[in-house]
Amino acid sequence: MATNNICNREKMIVRLLKPFSFLALLFFTTTLLAQPSADAGKTIFRNYCASCHAKDMKTKSTGPALGGAQERWGDYPLEDLYGWIRNSPNMIYNVKHPRAIEVFEENARSVMTAFPNLTDDDIASILLYIDAQLAGPATAGGAAGPTQEVKKESNLSWLYWILFGVLGALALILTRTIGSLDRVVASKEGRTVAQQPLLKQVFSKRNVSFLIFALIVIGGYNTVSNAINLGRQQNYAPEQPIKFSHETHAGINEIDCQYCHDGARRSKHSVIPAANTCMNCHSAIKNGSEFGTAELTKIYASVGFDPTTDKYIENYEELERDDIKDIYTKWISDTYLADNSLTALDKKGKKTVDAQWEGIVNSLTNDQKKTIAGPIEWIRIHNLPDHVYFNHAQHVTVGEVECQTCHGKVEAMEVVKQHAPLSMGWCINCHRKTEVKFEDNEYYASYEAYHEQLSGGEKEKVTVEDIGGLECQKCHY
Amino acid sequence: MSTKFSGIWIGEKDLTRDEEFLRDAQNEVQSPSIIEALGEREVAEQVGGNRRDFLKMMGFGLGAATMAAGCDIPVKRAIPYVVKPDEIVPGVANYYASSFVDGGDYCSILVKTREGRPIKIEGNNLSGVTKGGTSARAQASVLSLYDVNRIKHPTVDGEKVEWSDLDRSITSKLASARGIRVVTNTILSPTEKSAVAAFTAKYPSAKVVTYDPVSSAAMLEANEKSFGDRVIPNYHFDKATHIVSFNADFLGTWISPIEFAHDYAQGRKIKNVKGAKMSKHVQVESQMSMSGSNADNRILVKPSEQGAAIAYLYQQVMGTGSRSAGLNANAEKALKQLANQLKSSKGSSLIISGSNNAAEQEIVNALNVSLGNYGNTISFDSASLQRQGDEKELVDLVADIQAGRVDTVIFNNCNPVYEYSGIAGLKEAIEGVANKIGLSYTNDETTNTCNIIAPIHHNLESWGDAEPKRGHISLIQPTISPLFDTRQGGHSMLVWAGSTALDANAEQPYYDYLRSQWSGYHANSDFLSFQSFWDKALHDGVYHGNSGSLVDIASANVDATSAMGRITKPSGSDLEIQFTEPIAIGNGQYSNNPWLQEMPDPVSRCAWGNYLAVPVDFDGVRKFKGLNGLIDGDLVDVTVDGKTYRVPAIQQFGQMPGTVSIAIGYGRTAGGACATGIGVDVNESISLVDGRANYSSANVSLSNKKGEEEHYSAVQYHHTMGVTAPNAAGETINADETTLAPGYGNIFSGFQGSLTDRSIIRHSHVDDLEKSVEDLIHEREHHEGLNAETLYPYNEYVAEKYSQGHHWGMHVDLNACTGCGACTVSCMAENNIPVVGKKQVARHQEMAWLRIDRYYYGDVNNPNVVYQPMMCQHCDNAPCENVCPVNATNHSSEGLNQMTYNRCIGTRYCANNCPYKVRRFNWLDYTTGDLFPANQVKVNNEEVPFGADNLTRMVLNPDVTVRTRGVIEKCSFCVQRIQQGKLTAKTEKRGLNDFDVKTACQTACPTGAITFGDTNNKEGELAHKFESPLNMIVLEEINVRSSVRYTMKVHNRDESLEV
Repeated sequence: MATNNICNREKMIVRLLKPFSFLALLFFTTTLLAQPSADAGKTIFRNYCASCHAKDMKTKSTGPALGGAQERWGDYPLEDLYGWIRNSPNMIYNVKHPRAIEVFEENARSVMTAFPNLTDDDIASILLYIDAQLAGPATAGGAAGPTQEVKKESNLSWLYWILFGVLGALALILTRTIGSLDRVVASKEGRTVAQQPLLKQVFSKRNVSFLIFALIVIGGYNTVSNAINLGRQQNYAPEQPIKFSHETHAGINEIDCQYCHDGARRSKHSVIPAANTCMNCHSAIKNGSEFGTAELTKIYASVGFDPTTDKYIENYEELERDDIKDIYTKWISDTYLADNSLTALDKKGKKTVDAQWEGIVNSLTNDQKKTIAGPIEWIRIHNLPDHVYFNHAQHVTVGEVECQTCHGKVEAMEVVKQHAPLSMGWCINCHRKTEVKFEDNEYYASYEAYHEQLSGGEKEKVTVEDIGGLECQKCHY
Repeated sequence: MSTKFSGIWIGEKDLTRDEEFLRDAQNEVQSPSIIEALGEREVAEQVGGNRRDFLKMMGFGLGAATMAAGCDIPVKRAIPYVVKPDEIVPGVANYYASSFVDGGDYCSILVKTREGRPIKIEGNNLSGVTKGGTSARAQASVLSLYDVNRIKHPTVDGEKVEWSDLDRSITSKLASARGIRVVTNTILSPTEKSAVAAFTAKYPSAKVVTYDPVSSAAMLEANEKSFGDRVIPNYHFDKATHIVSFNADFLGTWISPIEFAHDYAQGRKIKNVKGAKMSKHVQVESQMSMSGSNADNRILVKPSEQGAAIAYLYQQVMGTGSRSAGLNANAEKALKQLANQLKSSKGSSLIISGSNNAAEQEIVNALNVSLGNYGNTISFDSASLQRQGDEKELVDLVADIQAGRVDTVIFNNCNPVYEYSGIAGLKEAIEGVANKIGLSYTNDETTNTCNIIAPIHHNLESWGDAEPKRGHISLIQPTISPLFDTRQGGHSMLVWAGSTALDANAEQPYYDYLRSQWSGYHANSDFLSFQSFWDKALHDGVYHGNSGSLVDIASANVDATSAMGRITKPSGSDLEIQFTEPIAIGNGQYSNNPWLQEMPDPVSRCAWGNYLAVPVDFDGVRKFKGLNGLIDGDLVDVTVDGKTYRVPAIQQFGQMPGTVSIAIGYGRTAGGACATGIGVDVNESISLVDGRANYSSANVSLSNKKGEEEHYSAVQYHHTMGVTAPNAAGETINADETTLAPGYGNIFSGFQGSLTDRSIIRHSHVDDLEKSVEDLIHEREHHEGLNAETLYPYNEYVAEKYSQGHHWGMHVDLNACTGCGACTVSCMAENNIPVVGKKQVARHQEMAWLRIDRYYYGDVNNPNVVYQPMMCQHCDNAPCENVCPVNATNHSSEGLNQMTYNRCIGTRYCANNCPYKVRRFNWLDYTTGDLFPANQVKVNNEEVPFGADNLTRMVLNPDVTVRTRGVIEKCSFCVQRIQQGKLTAKTEKRGLNDFDVKTACQTACPTGAITFGDTNNKEGELAHKFESPLNMIVLEEINVRSSVRYTMKVHNRDESLEV
């Protein structure tokens, strides 16, 4: 009876251990995937930080140099730094953190954009990346950078390889233990089992089939995650028909986003401005600071404005290509002459005129659109699938969300790129965290229970999720 | 044996417990293999399919998907305006007041436009005529704007020409013409009339020939004779306590159905249970019309007995005679009884007739005069101008052509060659005319004979006006630039008349002309400047001017005795036929509109084609057979006046024995892709009696079954729920249950989840209402008791969840619903619902989210009807949600049953588990967005599948996803409107009001039967309606917690009028 019990217990241990050795391996693999790393930090830095902070972490750009930030915050718990990175205005105005105010004053009282969707791991990755960048030789040029990074990464991952080795050895030992226990059980039951060589044990049918299974799972996971990313185009920054600089307009000249994108406050579309919106200013400002006449003339050619006479051309749509060419090449060459104080076009001038005219034709015409006159066909950057309903007015007017929250610091972008992944997970995360402007909008009065909970202190804030912001039919119908 | 049943039934198969039907009713999918749909039957058998094929297809699919995934993401362009119009904000809808006008059909509308293209029609609340209601025809008119069959440029002898060349050619022909005729339907527009007048003034030989596709000429003649005014008076159905209609389908097609339905419903809605009052409606007819289906009593008379019935009622009311010539005894008895009631309710009855015999109409006038109805329920102020035509003029036209007096005819958007093929020699005569000028919208039978075609605008591209009733003038304004090289009819007439009033060089010549015509109205208004007057009229869409009566009733000439001799004599024939105008497509004017083709007829529930309604014979036991043993879908030869048509039959309850009926307007030969070849054209058999179209015939014979229709497209047995039937003892039992548990007696009845006593409809006589309401309350308590027996009582677990924010609900007043179908078409338009065509409808695969179930109750020989609009009930305890393996359908915190298309994998478990059968599956690629053309459906013999062209797609609502093949869809409570309404309230920082969110079906309804709103808003209209004691929940006993309430159907059936 007793023997039997022991037997059973041993059998049970064996049974329990068997899957564990493989679980250990599996666990190891997954941790390797999810750990904060400088590599991940590099991506995040590029997406969120690089527009303001210098990559070498030593020089000041729009934002201060980030090298040593962690040390500078050393007097405070790490959470404070995380909170600062995630939402600096909150730390300054609400928490009134002493270090936060110090940094605020140091940097001409300008706040950093909030990144509420950064996780702790994300921030850890950024900090790792900052350290890695800082540790690199300061004098190394751009070419050395990447190599340095690769080296740094391998430096970091050796730890994991050791871990892998240790766990692998553990698995081997466990396998052997299991084998021995198996034999003990067998002998107690009166069976004799020959000891298997280690190699045979490792490459047993069971292990090989598990390995195949694991490969399929990992392969499947990779396939699925890559498939999910299909059609997403974060950081998409196509070349536009006109080299329009948001940095010049929204950054340097501080034109409000909604001056041009006037749909954002009242429509589902933010609206790409019509060419006549450009003309509000550019009927007077006829030379660009960077490209001179090259880009602005494209707008004139699109709407049919003659910059020489300051008049819109009548029946512009019916003009022949050559007539249009005469009008705008005249303007381009006149400007060239004036700029260079010449009386006749030199060789370079002729080239400039030809190149600019060619630019106009290439920008304003394509396979579908044969005429110069007519709308400027911009390349659409932010594309949502057809089954997604998104309304700018809801976010801009009702939710009072800053444009930059989703579009990034467009005012610092010479060429606009897609800042956010525009994935469903990204939307959902924001809806989970964002607080609804509950107090000052009479509409929400019907949420009586929440109002009671808010005033009673049971609830700190009402998020978009609380009022159904995660439900399918808020965006899909 | 009694022929009365306490329950409701759908049709004959339901009553007889037809085995095939019961089996079908249990199955979610009724049709054979999907492969059959991919090709013809033979092809389907060849491709049969086995495991290897399946693997091949899988492999191909995977490969194709990989290939597709490997491709680059296409570059999309964002194209802004060059100069943005001030009033357009991309993404925001604009509404413009306008009018829907087609011949005499009228509706004052608001046109919803997005980015400059009209996508939806709404009713205009400011109209004194249609009062915010719409009809299916008005709703569908936006689709005809994007009709690919439109004529795209002017032609002369088939050659494309410039307008200037066309005008030159026409004016030279007109100058030398011997005789000119302008053939037109009723013209409602005063401005267009003045344009035509300018034309006739210029050419003295020109005459205007006005006719209506379905004639009311006898009425006009009778009114002219009786009252000296050739108009149709203003009927007040809301003021009438007794409504007697002699074969006039005033709720469906007759004169002004939107207006009449609105007024009629006022007298039918129940305001208080205690001492409830409602009007009494008696319909005298042979076939079941839509008005007849709403009536309390139907007195069955053969078509040829109509005159005798009118005359007999008159005699009984006047007490001048007791003799009736040839009227059947049952009708005689009923009419005698009716006369007594009418006499005791003087001044509050209303008698109308759809007869096209002037003498009969004169007697109706005399009846109304003697009952004192003029001045009360009928008046001549705001008299209706919606019918002005007389087909006698067409007859004269034929004679004039044959005599050589006419060599030039202008057809003003009309189609007499099809509509009046019953006039002998009409087609040949027209073909023989030298110059035929078509002011045409699409190609049709008449336009095809024309040598010069001057294509016209759609209403939504036009400037214009309309005066449907005297003094009620509304404007038509364009909501889109003309899509093609077309020109308005009135504009063309003015050009050809060489009118100086038209400045042809102006930017919008006809607009200027219209404004100049309106200066007269301005003079009578309070506005100081014309511009402010015009702006107001254009904004409102309507202008109310002088609508005074021109008639002195006291001096009316109503001599019924002389008319008695001219009424139609009863034929004594064994079989008679009635031709009816279908609700949806009229006499073919609307037949090229697929939304209207796919909308089932309210009564027969047939889509895509006309069916010969044959009476159902009840043998007293349990057998119901159609005439000649015909059953639904049998092909039969019907011979009318020597002309034989092979048509499919349908067994129609309420069809008088010895009569059959069939709809006109089908069987077009040149009507465009969706009209041509659908149904059978019977217009040739509409003979002329005294020069007037007679929509019936007594010279009819019917063959036996000649075959079966290939695609029988009646939807009455589709998506059934709670099928009931009488057992051998005549008791109503539940057919599902009998099938489920044969031989087990009653052990499966009377408990939670059992299938007995399914509460779908409750009905009551108005006099028994108090008791019925008590019964209802008792039954609902019983249901609540059953529903409380659960581990998760609703009130503890769920109710609180919906107590704050919004909880959406709907209320449907079955007493107001007339079954007209405007809501179903509105739903199609709003929600991008695909059209599937006749074949797919026959396979039970119609996609409409909102269907109107038609149930009979009462006497099988002469039943009453109740209509029940059935859409997703948005159950708070929804059975569909629990069974979805991918959670594609789930519940929102606002009580909406959400359907997420991009998550759906098409298992259809939800559709199977839906007790209301409201979920629809995209079996094929109806929206033509698929990779493989083989999956696409051709609705009719089109060149490309319906909607596969960029023109038709312009009608799509950009706020609603276009669904792809393989996903389920269903009513969403117009969630896009909910979200829009909420956003409006949020941006304005105020609470949500009733007017912020209205569903498409609600706004379309002419009678206000549908109310949508937030049940948590205690001050709202919906909360008020939810308190009505008449309310019931369909299938309340199964504890699904529906968000829709229906009222009990209350009728006022008069037993004394029955046999």
